[in-house]
Amino acid sequence: MVFLQLFLNGLQLGAIYALTAVGFSLIFGSTKIFHVAHGSAFAISGYIYWWLASQLDVAWPVATLAAVLAAAAFGLLMERFIYRPIQRHEASFFTVFIAAFGVSLVIQNLIGSVAGRGMETVTTPLSRSVEIMDGLFVAPISAISIGVAILVFTALSYFLGRTHVGIAMRALSENPDLVRVFGLDPGRVAQWAFVIGSAVVVPGAIFTAMTAGLNPAIGTHVMLVSLAATIVGGIGSVRGAACGGMLLGLAENLAYWKLDPQWSEAVTFVVLFAFIIFRPSGFFGTPTAAR
Amino acid sequence: MLKSRIAAAIAGALLWVGGAMAQETIRIGANLPMSGPNAELGEIFSRAASIAVNHINADKMLSKKLELVIEDSQATPQGGVVAMNKLVSVAKVPYVLSAYTAVSKAIAPIGDRAKVVSINGGAVGPDLAELGDYFWNVIPLVNFEAEVLIPFVVKEKGLKNIVLIFVDDPLGEAVQKVLRAEVPKAGGTPAGELQVQRSTQQFASIAAKVRELKPDAVYIASFGTQENQIIKQLRDNGITQQLMSYSAMSTPSIATLPEAKGGWYTVQSADFTASALGQRVAKEYKELSGKDANAYVANYYNAVMVFGILAQQLEKAGKPITGANLLEQRRASPTFELVGGKMTFQANGTVAAPVQIREVDGTGAGKLVK
Repeated sequence: MVFLQLFLNGLQLGAIYALTAVGFSLIFGSTKIFHVAHGSAFAISGYIYWWLASQLDVAWPVATLAAVLAAAAFGLLMERFIYRPIQRHEASFFTVFIAAFGVSLVIQNLIGSVAGRGMETVTTPLSRSVEIMDGLFVAPISAISIGVAILVFTALSYFLGRTHVGIAMRALSENPDLVRVFGLDPGRVAQWAFVIGSAVVVPGAIFTAMTAGLNPAIGTHVMLVSLAATIVGGIGSVRGAACGGMLLGLAENLAYWKLDPQWSEAVTFVVLFAFIIFRPSGFFGTPTAAR
Repeated sequence: MLKSRIAAAIAGALLWVGGAMAQETIRIGANLPMSGPNAELGEIFSRAASIAVNHINADKMLSKKLELVIEDSQATPQGGVVAMNKLVSVAKVPYVLSAYTAVSKAIAPIGDRAKVVSINGGAVGPDLAELGDYFWNVIPLVNFEAEVLIPFVVKEKGLKNIVLIFVDDPLGEAVQKVLRAEVPKAGGTPAGELQVQRSTQQFASIAAKVRELKPDAVYIASFGTQENQIIKQLRDNGITQQLMSYSAMSTPSIATLPEAKGGWYTVQSADFTASALGQRVAKEYKELSGKDANAYVANYYNAVMVFGILAQQLEKAGKPITGANLLEQRRASPTFELVGGKMTFQANGTVAAPVQIREVDGTGAGKLVK
């Protein structure tokens, strides 16, 4: 029963990790920009939802929509005013990283100044577990987060495979010049990548606000998870990031079955190192040879 | 040639201005977590310290204006050491406010070497009493808190089987050591110990382990955001047993956390209503933060006031305000009239204060249990 409990906990956490990581992977895969401020989109949307739903008693669909708009706007502004000017000067990867890191620090402090530096949660009966079998506790939010994750990945797969913008985003990752040849603007396609990549982080942020709570520094943890899931899944692969997030969530929780609790996060990194050493291209990444 | 002369002139002017500014103020430092998941406490500590600085300046206790230089430790030993080096070597302060057991233990040797006093008002690891002459505490350490809480829980409430969830950190390990001694002494049984990493944020599976252990009560020894997360996720995941902790449970965000309601915690007695000074501090803190003052506010206010009083005595005696002289003066006059009443330093730089058991009831201060 304990194993089943840990497995279910892992599925719920994996769904949240997958929802968090997939946006980062989509942005990185399409634009090759290491968007280290992705965690800030998570924090902003989480706090917007908390403020509206918890402080102002706004209905959850409205609060969710506002969170999506805020995350998308953040992604768009980052692309338009941070990354594009830097790339125009053909700055290095390191410059992009530092700029994004600086923005994430500013956002962290802004949130701390406005919303306070303590933990904030959205109180909901959905996060309260009920005993469905002897010793097996499940909260409604578990089923909801897994369901939403499946829904988001289905929609994202459809979008990337069947729509013009989605196909263009995939093409952008392969060959930006080719995108231009077909009369598309790579800058505009990159903007779409940032908007959608930032927006898909919202369900994970809302579920986190309901279960683990938010704090202004949460973006750092989110980035670590996103990065680990992206490496495990295969850099640039949306499907891979989803599987990577799920695997990490499961590993972190199943570690409790036989190991002491302090090892749970170490197990996550063991999984990560195992992939780096034995399968550096991840689940679905394309193997490349050094030239 | 001209350029180098201009540069030299600017450098000279800057040095002169800097020197003049340095002479105009007396500086003390604060090595506090101002960012990251523990920043809520850093904000409380720094606000309380700022109120004391304002009082010292308004009451003209010192010959020059007192200035508080705050550096961010991020509640990590590495961050604390960097901040301490800056305060000691660059700002050249004689007195530094400290917090967090791990940070305090990391910075104490630097203070000891440089003869700079570090004073702690927030960390409770018992070994903070053994960090040398230049490390002082204005907060009772956790062994005093556990000596009050554990007999109450085991003997008076009959909750004998106690599980400890503790953070992988000097504070957590200190609490583990104290509980291993106190629980059997009171007639209870340590039902299990679950150690978690500082960065862990998910505790649903910890709750599953706690359910397996079937305790009567759960003692949580963490801090900052993680303390809140553990409480919330234990309650969300079917833990209905009594939750308890040390003074970390007295933070405003836990006080208003619905899942924390009913939790017991120990905290030093800090009655703000007992004196005019206490009322003045509580009122100004409420105006500044919108929240009720708690024991941490009293501690950091008192920590700065201890400096103000000692520095005033040194100035009257015509002695320079250095760490060594502050230590000598504290030994000569170890009793201070502060928020919460009279406070006397022991020879090892710690203080004894009455400890209360309170219950989280949704209001800021909590309900007095014992």
